[in-house]
Amino acid sequence: MVGVQVIVGGLLLGAIYALFSSGLTLIWGMMNFINFAHGEFVMLGMYVALLVVTWLGGGPAVFAVAAAAALFALGVGLYSSLIRHVIRGPLLAQILSTFGLALLLRYTAFLVFSANFVSLPPTALAGTIKVAGIFLPVAQLVAGAAALILTIALHILLTRTTVGSKLLAVAEDRAAAMLMGIRPDHMQALAWGLSAGAAGIAGALMATAYPWSPSVGETFSLIAFVVVALGGFGSVLGSLYAGLIVGLIQAVSAFWLGAIYKDIVVYGLFVVLLWLRPQGLMGRT
Amino acid sequence: MRQTFGLRAIALLLAAGLLLYPVVFTDPFYRDVGVTFLLAAISASAWNIVGGYAGQVSVGHSMFFGLGAYAPLLVYNLWGWPPIAGVPFGIALAISLALVIGMPTFRLTGHYFSMATLAVAELIRIFAGTWGLVGAAIGLQGPATGRAWWDLTFRSELPYYYIFLGVLALLLATTAIIENRRFGFYLRAIKASERAARNLGVPARRIKMMALALSAAFTSVAGSLYVVKTGFIDPDSGFGILVSVQMVIVAALGGAGTLLGPLVGALILVPLQTATNTWFGGSGSGLTYILYGGIIVLIARFEPGGLSELWPRLLPRLWKRAHAA
Amino acid sequence: MKRSSLLFAALCLTAVAISAPTARAAGTVKIGVLMPLTGNAAAAGQAAKAAIEVATDIVNNAHPELGNLPLAATAGLPNLGGAKIDVVFVDHQGNPSTAQQLATQLITQDKVNALLGAYQSSCTFTATPVAERYGIPFMVGDSAALNITTRGFKYVFRATPIATDYARTYMRFFADMKKQGKKIDSIAIVNENTDYGTSVGDAIEAEAKKDNMPVAIRIPYSASSTDVSAQVLQLKEKNPDVVIFISYTADSILYMKTMKSLDYKPQMILGDDSGFSDPSFIPAINDIAQGVMNRSAWAIGKPGSTTDEINQMYKAKTGRDLDDTSARNMQAFFALADAINRAGSTDPEKIRTALAATDLKPDQLMMGYQGIKYDSTGQNILAATYLIQLQGKQYQLVWPETAATAALQWPMRGAAQ
Repeated sequence: MVGVQVIVGGLLLGAIYALFSSGLTLIWGMMNFINFAHGEFVMLGMYVALLVVTWLGGGPAVFAVAAAAALFALGVGLYSSLIRHVIRGPLLAQILSTFGLALLLRYTAFLVFSANFVSLPPTALAGTIKVAGIFLPVAQLVAGAAALILTIALHILLTRTTVGSKLLAVAEDRAAAMLMGIRPDHMQALAWGLSAGAAGIAGALMATAYPWSPSVGETFSLIAFVVVALGGFGSVLGSLYAGLIVGLIQAVSAFWLGAIYKDIVVYGLFVVLLWLRPQGLMGRT
Repeated sequence: MRQTFGLRAIALLLAAGLLLYPVVFTDPFYRDVGVTFLLAAISASAWNIVGGYAGQVSVGHSMFFGLGAYAPLLVYNLWGWPPIAGVPFGIALAISLALVIGMPTFRLTGHYFSMATLAVAELIRIFAGTWGLVGAAIGLQGPATGRAWWDLTFRSELPYYYIFLGVLALLLATTAIIENRRFGFYLRAIKASERAARNLGVPARRIKMMALALSAAFTSVAGSLYVVKTGFIDPDSGFGILVSVQMVIVAALGGAGTLLGPLVGALILVPLQTATNTWFGGSGSGLTYILYGGIIVLIARFEPGGLSELWPRLLPRLWKRAHAA
Repeated sequence: MKRSSLLFAALCLTAVAISAPTARAAGTVKIGVLMPLTGNAAAAGQAAKAAIEVATDIVNNAHPELGNLPLAATAGLPNLGGAKIDVVFVDHQGNPSTAQQLATQLITQDKVNALLGAYQSSCTFTATPVAERYGIPFMVGDSAALNITTRGFKYVFRATPIATDYARTYMRFFADMKKQGKKIDSIAIVNENTDYGTSVGDAIEAEAKKDNMPVAIRIPYSASSTDVSAQVLQLKEKNPDVVIFISYTADSILYMKTMKSLDYKPQMILGDDSGFSDPSFIPAINDIAQGVMNRSAWAIGKPGSTTDEINQMYKAKTGRDLDDTSARNMQAFFALADAINRAGSTDPEKIRTALAATDLKPDQLMMGYQGIKYDSTGQNILAATYLIQLQGKQYQLVWPETAATAALQWPMRGAAQ
């Protein structure tokens, strides 16, 4: 019974990992661009949720959508003001720009919200349901389910719609896409918006269960890197599987080996997997 | 021709400036900032060999830095040896690790290599934090007061400054020699296009491996220098991700893959960090990092190739202006 | 127009007249304070900074309402002709090498007479040798690692209790409870795995061994964990009677929430300060973790008491109650200021001698120590701590009974009714 509980907990956590990582894989895979500020998007999503709850009230649906919308706008804004200019520059300039951006966002939040830890006031999502001896915290259940649905929706958007085809076309061959009448800048701005929006909504969902301060982003960035590389750059479905796997491995190894070994196991498996299958789980060779 | 002459003059001026800096600035704090600058320059220049010249962007160089930092304090704490005696161990460990890491990861390219190095560094950091022999989370301390000169615990910053400067000179001389040898050409060929280089008969994997080993050895020395100066190491200050990122940032800011780029990067970044922290740190408002992050973003946006690319563009203009006047 | 400018000039003159004599009357004493004001420990560093600013106000201005607290009733340091203390804060960002550099800067550029800091043990480790080298007294406000004071340094003093003191307190408490017939057959130790959690966890495990108290399980974990259900399930399986948490803020809240959602409640939860003392902790968990205990040498006390007055001042400044970590830094500052006053001089050597001769009685302290008196290593041998319990929306002092303000509730209740 305990074993099932551990596995369920791991999968619920993994679904959230999948959601914020799918945002990262979107731009990483499609633009070959490492975003060190992705964890900061998650952090900002958490604060947006807090602001909405304290000023406007409303349930999780309200603040999650608000966080997604705010971060979508931020993503588009950042793309047109900064990323657009560095994206065709050297890899190192990209690393520089998003690393600087991460500091800028983190410490702007620090200046505005102070360094103190905050949590969301108890929402409708408090409480636990018990199914067949397994405890399911409502907040995590809703967050996990939402994450699952959104990640799959993002996958469908990319693979089954015209917008998705256009996005992929730009990623594949910018020049050819332009000849087809697609405006790459618009598509890439959209990708950044979606990426940041997914991070924002993941942040809002995380906030229902997890207390945070402005420096929380770092944790999420590292997890997202591993999930994305494991899943294969650019594959939303890959990051879904990878997110679930990472969540599961963390839970299982924390329970049977001890909490300090869970990251050793994750990174260790990651390195081994890179060696055996460098293109990631779902990546193209 | 004129341009290289200008660069050479600048390099000479820089060398003279570095030699004279602690003579002009006798205040211990300024000398300490000088030492910090030299350390940043050494680490970034060491990273530059594989990250800049060979274009293999490692985001986990702290693994070599940490090994170099732990080894001196480990031999001191285990056997009471002078910390400096640990330096060869650090180098040997770093080179071995480089070979072990290089073999699988050099099959990877681009971001996969970056991610693999990041993961390995994190792996080692977490592991060091759980291992009692190396002080686990609490870390290791050096001799609080030196038993003799060979413990290298000086009261003044001056000896550290010149030791660090000597290592930097050695490192830059090595890099300069490589630049003009076949090895250096191979590295640049690999950076430009690994596939093309292979087709032309460049033993790409072996060359990359050699670059990584050389880079690891010097990074390890940087770690040893750090620990001899600070007298303390723990998992975060040895293997932490910020240690790796700092190397990348310094090199990229000045210009990766150029001889003096990392030096220029350190020359800008370290005073910037120190100044912002001195001005805004005490208020605790976080302005330090807002300014610091903002300037990094601006440089990436407007000088994506690093600031050392400014010189060749500025110099002719200055030259012209000087002659016009 | 003319009138208002005249008024303005008059105001300026008064301002000058008011500020001039105080600023220049007797010179100033400079104390450099090293704290992590940014980075991961920023919240704790910022709170400590605010607390030290309140303490500076108490020393520099007359506060006769604060009872026996040394230097409160007078303005400035009487033995130095009413000299004021000027505090210079610096931010070491949690980076040991920056801490070392800033210690050098404070000593050689700002010419401070004494130093206080530096929260993380790693930064204290690198900053203290600088002070030792220059012969400047260094007061350790709150750093956990035992060997900070065992390196033979002459200029390093630590007023706060350390890991072994806490561990012994817990064991005495358990013995006391057992005597009252409470069942404590085994304990569990859950510690975050940086220097703080490791030091305290090790000390508790060692003391438990000495006391033949079985440790059912020890769980080190990373404070940045986003999920702790596995750890809670481990606890649930071992089912110890008391669980001791050595945790930071986010993780301690997460533990309480996860224990609630996984329906696990031991007889008693004992928090080791830090996260459990963070002002964010109580509002986040107060309806699910009633009766949770915490270590603290700080208690707000009855309305009108010295400690309550101090808390009011702190609350007016920050909007939050004073927490134990910041209070211990504040107490360290008072102990340092008292020594400088007794030295009657800003000469570091004289301050050191005065520090070494410190003998503060319990009624001269804001904290629940039995006094402040340093051994030859500079560690306060009279440091002690209380145990407090969350009852309603506030912690109440429940142990030792001689100092208690409320009755201990055992076992803990958990959810609020």
